[in-house]
Amino acid sequence: MICESCQENEATVHITTGSGLNKTERYLCEVCANKSFSGQFSSFQDDSFNIHQLLQSLSAQQPFTSHKQQKKHCENCGSTVESILKNGKFGCAECYETFSEKSNEIITKVQLFQTEHNGKIPQKSSAYIKVKKEIEQLRAELSGLVEEQAFEEAAVVRDQIKSLEAGDGNGKD
Amino acid sequence: MAMGKISPWVSQAKEIPVEMSSRIRLARNVRELPFPHLVEDDEMSGVIETLNDTLDDFNRIDLEELKFEDKALLVEKHLISPLFTKRGRLSYINGDESVSIMVNEEDHIRIQAMGAELSLDELYENASSLDDRLESRLDYAFDDKYGFLTACPTNIGTGLRASVMLHLPALSLGNRIQRVSNNLNRFGFTLRGIYGEGSVPLGHIYQLSNQLTLGQSEEDIIKSLNELKARIIEEEIEMRSIMHNEHLIKAKDSIFRSYGILKHAYTISLKEAANHLSNIKLGVDLGFLPENTIRFQELVQLIQPAFIKMRLNSLDKEYVSLERAVAEERATLLREHIGGTI
Ligand SMILES: [Zn+2]
Ligand SMILES: [Zn+2]
Repeated sequence: MICESCQENEATVHITTGSGLNKTERYLCEVCANKSFSGQFSSFQDDSFNIHQLLQSLSAQQPFTSHKQQKKHCENCGSTVESILKNGKFGCAECYETFSEKSNEIITKVQLFQTEHNGKIPQKSSAYIKVKKEIEQLRAELSGLVEEQAFEEAAVVRDQIKSLEAGDGNGKD
Repeated sequence: MAMGKISPWVSQAKEIPVEMSSRIRLARNVRELPFPHLVEDDEMSGVIETLNDTLDDFNRIDLEELKFEDKALLVEKHLISPLFTKRGRLSYINGDESVSIMVNEEDHIRIQAMGAELSLDELYENASSLDDRLESRLDYAFDDKYGFLTACPTNIGTGLRASVMLHLPALSLGNRIQRVSNNLNRFGFTLRGIYGEGSVPLGHIYQLSNQLTLGQSEEDIIKSLNELKARIIEEEIEMRSIMHNEHLIKAKDSIFRSYGILKHAYTISLKEAANHLSNIKLGVDLGFLPENTIRFQELVQLIQPAFIKMRLNSLDKEYVSLERAVAEERATLLREHIGGTI
């Protein structure tokens, strides 16, 4: 295991500071461990390193938010926009909905303008999502076929879309 | 589960040039519960009970019962993340240690599947069917528009991180990594040293992975990653043939020097050892050394500090300075493996 601070030397020291909720643990090399006692070490860099920077810059950008917005909090977990930006993480799944404008802004930034899921859908999740996505996909296919002037195949796809829209497609689930 | 031993899937893997192993990670959360950084222990108990029930064919590891060394070993085997050693609670690991689940890492559930001879598609299938198993018992946080909801918006959507570990000594020594990496960033992929963030990562080992998780399907993400991987491998092989054709003496010199050092050194740092192992593996790939000279993937893990400390403990050796003892034991291990002076 490598030192969390310099990411170079071997971590040979395990440091625990604070207690209870304020407890933090670090795995450091001897050099960095010594430095850490003088209160100087950089934070652990992981996957979320960039997002932290980004969110911090977003939070710096918004000193003029209205009081009303600042007070708004997630009913489920108590998070506010401020706490989300500070943690670099949403508080719970419902935060995304509660702060929909902010979450859309953040997602657009970190996912490079991708805003819609096109992957796996949980089996339990309502059948209509699957049908909805399937229709979208077929529509894209349809316009491609029309462009290629493959009208016979296009007619088949159009019928598939119609039957899905009519609700026949739910039988598959 | 044998804590101090190399994972079976690693020790059984066939060694090939450049490509080392692949990994799939899925991030999932349970609806209504606050994400791990805010959730209280007792709020998780229902989920944990369900997981215990569902994952009865897995080894259940209670992180709170582990010593620092054991947690570090799991990190070195890539079974848990460094973050997880601090506030992780539970992990479930399968028999050959290729599939693991972390409970309450950054997300409630992180499923991981690793393999050396399996394709990313096959690994995704494994992870995804395990995901289905869990989903049948848990209520996942899923949104029509955004897909699987995660604590950090960098994982939202598919929750998928697909990655491939690559040994890139020629690109690395030829200072080509930065250029390759800049190109990848434009496609939403990254190439990073797997051990440390220094300019030249340990053993010239890199990890190629997707950065975006939203917008594309799992299959499409994996497909793009495979294409990019093939291109990087091609470039590495090209650089190697330039090395072979235009700098033969220099290449042989550094390869055989490394071989000599690991055969005869009595104390060695992690960095130096990894560098020489990388050179020797390159020598094997170029046909200068026989194939059975080293098992690269295995040795890169065995020289890590927690593995060495485990060896020291099992030998009951006494020492004054741990750091020095580790460096000496590392050299001994390497001499043993490469057939040097004992
Ligand atoms: Zn350090
Ligand atoms: Zn919330």
